[in-house]
Amino acid sequence: MKATKLLVIIGTLLVLGLIIYFPGRKLAREHVNYETAVQNHPLSCISCHYYTQRTGFISKLINEDYLSPFNLTVSKDGRRLFVIAQDANELLVVDADKKNVLHKIKVGIHPHSVILSENGKIAYVSNQWSDNVSVIDLASSKVVDSLKTGNGPAGLALSADGNFLYAVNAFGSNLSVINLKTKEEINRFSTGNNPTGIALSKVSKELYVTSRRQNPVAYGEPLVSDFTVVNDSTQKLKKYISMNNAYLMENVAFTPSGDLALTALTRPKNLVPAIQVERGWMMNDGIGIIEQKPNGKVVQLLIDEPNSYYSSLFDVVISPNGKKAFLSSSGVDYISVVNLDSIRNIIANTSPQMLKRLANNLGTSSRFVTKRIKTGAVPKGLALSPNGKLLYVAEMLDDKIGVINTETLEKIYTIDLGGPKRITIARKGRRLFNNAAHTFQNQYACYTCHPDNHEDGLEYNFASMGRNIVNVISLREIADTPPYKWSGKNQSVYKQDGMRFSKFLTRTESFNYEDLDALVAYIKTGIKLPPNLMYNKDGKLTESQLRGKEIFNRSVDNLGKVIPKKSRCVTCHPSPYYTNLKLEDVGTLSKTDDSILFDTPNLNNIYASAPYLHDGRAKTLEEIWTVYGGDDNHGRVNDLSKIELNDLVNYLKSLRGSNYEKSSLKTQHASF
Amino acid sequence: MEGMIVATQVPKNLQNANYYNGNSWRYFSKSKIVLLNPNRVNKPVKVLTNNFYAACTPQISFDGKSMLFTAQKSKNDLWQIWEMNLENLKAHQITTSSKNCIDPTYLPENRFVFSEIDSDSISKKGIPLFTGNLDGTNISQITYNPTINFASTVLKDGRILTISSEIYPKEKEAMFMVLRPDGTKEELFYKGAKGSVIKSRGFETTKGKVVFIESSSNKKTGDIMSIKYNRPLHSSVNLTQEIKGDFYTVSQLKGDTLLVSYRESKSNAYALYEFNSKTKKLGKLIYKNDTLNLLDAILIKKHNRPRNLPSEVNLKSKTGLIVCQNINFLDSPDKISKAVKIEILGMDASLGKVTVEKDGSFYLKVPANTPFQIQTIDNKEQVVNGPSSWLYLRPSERRGCIGCHENREQVPENRQPLSVRRAPILLPEQIKEVNKKRMH
Amino acid sequence: MKKTDIIKQTKLTAMIIVVFIIGTLSYNLSAQNKKPNQNKMPIYGHWKNFTSNDGLPSNKTYCVRIDGKRVLVGTNKGLAVYENGKWKTYTIKDGLAHNGVLAIDVSKLTGDVWLGTMGGLTRWSAGKFENFTQLNSGMPNNLIYAVICDAKDVWVATGGGAGKYDTYTKQWEIFTQQNAPMHEPWTYGVCEGDGKIFIAAWGGGVVEYTKKTKKFRDYTDPDGKMEIDLFPDDGLVHDITTGTSWANGYLWVATYFGLSRYDGVHWKGYFDHDSGLTSNFINYVRAVGSIAYLCTDKGLSTTDGKNWVNYTTNNSSKNGKATIIVGTKKTELAMIPSISHNFVLGVDVSNHTIWLATSRGVSRGELLK
Repeated sequence: MKATKLLVIIGTLLVLGLIIYFPGRKLAREHVNYETAVQNHPLSCISCHYYTQRTGFISKLINEDYLSPFNLTVSKDGRRLFVIAQDANELLVVDADKKNVLHKIKVGIHPHSVILSENGKIAYVSNQWSDNVSVIDLASSKVVDSLKTGNGPAGLALSADGNFLYAVNAFGSNLSVINLKTKEEINRFSTGNNPTGIALSKVSKELYVTSRRQNPVAYGEPLVSDFTVVNDSTQKLKKYISMNNAYLMENVAFTPSGDLALTALTRPKNLVPAIQVERGWMMNDGIGIIEQKPNGKVVQLLIDEPNSYYSSLFDVVISPNGKKAFLSSSGVDYISVVNLDSIRNIIANTSPQMLKRLANNLGTSSRFVTKRIKTGAVPKGLALSPNGKLLYVAEMLDDKIGVINTETLEKIYTIDLGGPKRITIARKGRRLFNNAAHTFQNQYACYTCHPDNHEDGLEYNFASMGRNIVNVISLREIADTPPYKWSGKNQSVYKQDGMRFSKFLTRTESFNYEDLDALVAYIKTGIKLPPNLMYNKDGKLTESQLRGKEIFNRSVDNLGKVIPKKSRCVTCHPSPYYTNLKLEDVGTLSKTDDSILFDTPNLNNIYASAPYLHDGRAKTLEEIWTVYGGDDNHGRVNDLSKIELNDLVNYLKSLRGSNYEKSSLKTQHASF
Repeated sequence: MEGMIVATQVPKNLQNANYYNGNSWRYFSKSKIVLLNPNRVNKPVKVLTNNFYAACTPQISFDGKSMLFTAQKSKNDLWQIWEMNLENLKAHQITTSSKNCIDPTYLPENRFVFSEIDSDSISKKGIPLFTGNLDGTNISQITYNPTINFASTVLKDGRILTISSEIYPKEKEAMFMVLRPDGTKEELFYKGAKGSVIKSRGFETTKGKVVFIESSSNKKTGDIMSIKYNRPLHSSVNLTQEIKGDFYTVSQLKGDTLLVSYRESKSNAYALYEFNSKTKKLGKLIYKNDTLNLLDAILIKKHNRPRNLPSEVNLKSKTGLIVCQNINFLDSPDKISKAVKIEILGMDASLGKVTVEKDGSFYLKVPANTPFQIQTIDNKEQVVNGPSSWLYLRPSERRGCIGCHENREQVPENRQPLSVRRAPILLPEQIKEVNKKRMH
Repeated sequence: MKKTDIIKQTKLTAMIIVVFIIGTLSYNLSAQNKKPNQNKMPIYGHWKNFTSNDGLPSNKTYCVRIDGKRVLVGTNKGLAVYENGKWKTYTIKDGLAHNGVLAIDVSKLTGDVWLGTMGGLTRWSAGKFENFTQLNSGMPNNLIYAVICDAKDVWVATGGGAGKYDTYTKQWEIFTQQNAPMHEPWTYGVCEGDGKIFIAAWGGGVVEYTKKTKKFRDYTDPDGKMEIDLFPDDGLVHDITTGTSWANGYLWVATYFGLSRYDGVHWKGYFDHDSGLTSNFINYVRAVGSIAYLCTDKGLSTTDGKNWVNYTTNNSSKNGKATIIVGTKKTELAMIPSISHNFVLGVDVSNHTIWLATSRGVSRGELLK
């Protein structure tokens, strides 16, 4: 009897199981096919439902807290390395001889750079997401002070007399001058767009500040990024030096004799229809050389080769004898060694017209690049030992410091900084994101157009020649904001980075599913949104922002008329991501666009995403309505006074991460 | 089988290369594919193709378990492509063409590329490349210019490297061309000095080099040339300048050690040797037999699969697009070209003339799979440059050129060509595009 | 030698003698002024005039600012810069927002030059031009009559209200009748002093903005819109104000109907009929130290509130004069050449030099010793 009952139960369960299994499997198949946009993806739930967990137990289980060494410097005696562990918010003090970490000093959020005082007793660390500089007493390994800077401090430099600290404000696009005696900012100079690197010429006493984004121009106009030159002695702006057709100038260095300034740069081809990758048609990498003499030449030379590219240049350092420069290519994990005498020779013996040509020539690197040295994953900051014999490389996504013998030009060992040994799926994704191996001939990485996981401020002309110009979209806060692309054609990040991505963008083999899992996991969980310290530090809105918020949420216009729902800002841009995830027509379709609707973008930290609109035609938020919103198609605005429009813009600038807007949303705990 | 070598074995007296007849180039009667152990010098070889009248040009699959080769099953058969399972040595025929199919090479995703010789049309159509599935399905032509393409190999970046020479209206020197497996983006990879002849298939080593055999204008015997993949046009090194004798084929054995077919003089047969590319010296002898040549030797080894490149070809489309930034952009800034028009020349007639934009750019839509040349014309209707070499576009292919005679290491200036601000000019005017769907 | 020549020579000799005497007198005057606690009025002479013949893009000049070793002049055809004895012009081709440059100020902190034009605000920073317009930014209006730098902030007086640009946060704040005690958004001048911003609001008198409290108050003419000043020194002389300037504890307010001075408690009015003011029609005022420089339609007046030195020209010739009024004593000094034109729109002074923007080019005067 019991056995019969058992059989009946088992039989029922089996039948029920089968009833559920087959339709369930069919449904799952349909779901996976929809999300991945392919028919043959394995029915793996973990791809999208496990790896992409941002909070809770699973997130803790699958992720790790990595260090991510970003920049570093060496003590004068060469015995200590001071390493920025960007994701740990720490400065690591490393014994260079014993190759171990001596101290971990907690600094501000998202530290960027470190420099030492002349006597080597103090370290200054810029905290990019805290808007300050930590002053660290190295004898006690303690943070003893905090110096207020502008928005997003990155590169640091001391004045020649050691009395002033210069902090490059990457987000504010200016340079803070801090009096180290009074500990107060005494001046702030405008710089190029999104500056990071700074160097002081010991000879000319001039400071050179790089910039990473181009000066705002309409699509089609030449792309120019600026160097800012400040006289350290007079503390006055001296000039801007234009780098034509270049951007992402991360860092700059001077030769010891002061005859040259060198910067790492990228030369995008965003104005050229992106119809092929062959023959350098998409992105090139190079060095900018500025001769330090009256009427000195400003020259650019590619470090790429005809069939091989050295993507995502980051740092540049020069040997004490001024003969060699080392450049880190974080997109291909290589250090390029440059013979500076060859560079001097090329500049001296080439006509200006030919020099201009060489800026677009892939063969020239063979005349000055003497060696390519393989490094660990994503080499960022570089530092030479004081005698110049060792080159230290911050291998960011390996949590290691690579050490290169600068005479043999071989990597001789690595210093393990003690990060987690396990490589999580999202960490793997981050490596893929940064690595250019997934584009044809390593020409560019995801990171190239999405530096800092954001966007590069450029508009591109993808496969349809001369048509459908698109503004690069930030990858911050996109996990929950499908669909993707301005056309909204991609319903998931999985599809966005899948087959068509390789067909039209990377033009090499598409990611396999394991890699795609990892990349999607990183994009959906590992990209953090910087705080909005400039416009909304603590959630307390200014009077103007509050007035702007009212306008944003209003349903009645200034004339007392009810605003149709579709013309209210908040309808299409509701909190927490300020997008309704739908496609809309805001009257911005141009003659060169296919007739489509545009995906409503999310507005978190929108202040940092100029230019605006699908083709980047609006250089500022104001222009969205003053120039391109005349017909009230993009919200009801024509009744607003200039003061009210300013209020609205001020409110938009105050928008920050979704985690501030909705208590149930929490930021990812782990770092990648 | 891993670690063994396969090679083509043929009687000592080789036929002369001749592209125009069915027995072209190095397809020899009574050739055999043999198996050797590189570590056992001059040990008797095992013949793998006893069941064939002739078999040659072995190529090893990426997993090291199969071999593609060209064979005549019986005398007077057409040459066809076969594949052999190296574990059980069973062979199966892949192509069953009414023409000679030669020079197969593995492509990723169980595909392969080969040359098909149609002796009747060779003088005008050349020898095109075809690709297909290894099961013999989906075989289709990928090149469409009057060019002889043969001895293909596949580079790690996924592109096909082929020896190519224009044949119409007259034969030109062969060079290495490179193209995607869908036939798109064909471009020059390497061209030797004047009078030189590329004599063997290229082989990409794990050291970032492509090695091959070339003879120079004054020395008719073959030398091993090495070019860098990264900079193929300007990095050639003759590895055997100091060595007397004649090299016939080359592949990589391990590291800097190459596997070469070499003979000291014409009176010898080609023997197999190791060759150190670093010291540029012949190494260990592997096999030598004065009555038999050993050619096309290749190591049986699992090796990295090249990239599987996506295809932009859409066979529903009948046209392709080509954009040029500036027809007056020349290799030197000092040279001046004042062309104002281009003429597109078909095989039989001109497709039409187009006035270029002020910036020297043009943007055309031309029939796909159709060879054409471009020549530039000044305002006096005189030809300034050209005609160019033969080009073709695959259906829906988009090609970009910087200029007409620019340095081939030049990348485009970051400037939008004026020509793409309007729709492409259709040439010839009467063509109709059936596929209007946009690509992106 | 012809008779006319002899007459000319005689005249020239006489003039030289007169100039010599005047020079001696002025030297004595200057010497007297060096005494402690003396209200010394600087006197400028040795005028040198620059017109389009000398390299200026146009004779229609609107404003002038001395910037170290160079002088910046706003004209209707661009910005003219005088440096090392040469003029160089910058126009919209170089990046200027508009060629009509109405106002100039230089940031003491950064050295950036801010140019108020008829088509927007231009920052000229170490050679780079950056434009702010009512379309691309939160700036109130493209017609900019005045611009001043106040530490990190830049203030503009425009046809659509006053505006404050925070160079750190890159945000604009606008002040119009919507949020400030103005009658209409038209503003003509702006200055800073004593922790306050003083906006010359057309028809609205002076609008005072206290930076610390962000509070406004206004100063208007107690006589309303009457064009005469019924009760002297009861307040601002007129609501239609054209400029403000603050120095040494005094706010100077220019109107088309006279001059006002405010010491924080009391107002004082000055008119052409009851003071040394050369004309009630004042285009612009600039106070430096204890002296106010007043650009009028009838020449330049300078005053310390008590004494006056006025510079005029006989517009039909190159000759003119300086009229020195000390108390009730009036002296005249011939100036050959004199200032370029009596319609003066802009002025700036440095230690020893004065520059004027007039309707016929610019004039440079040297401090007479």
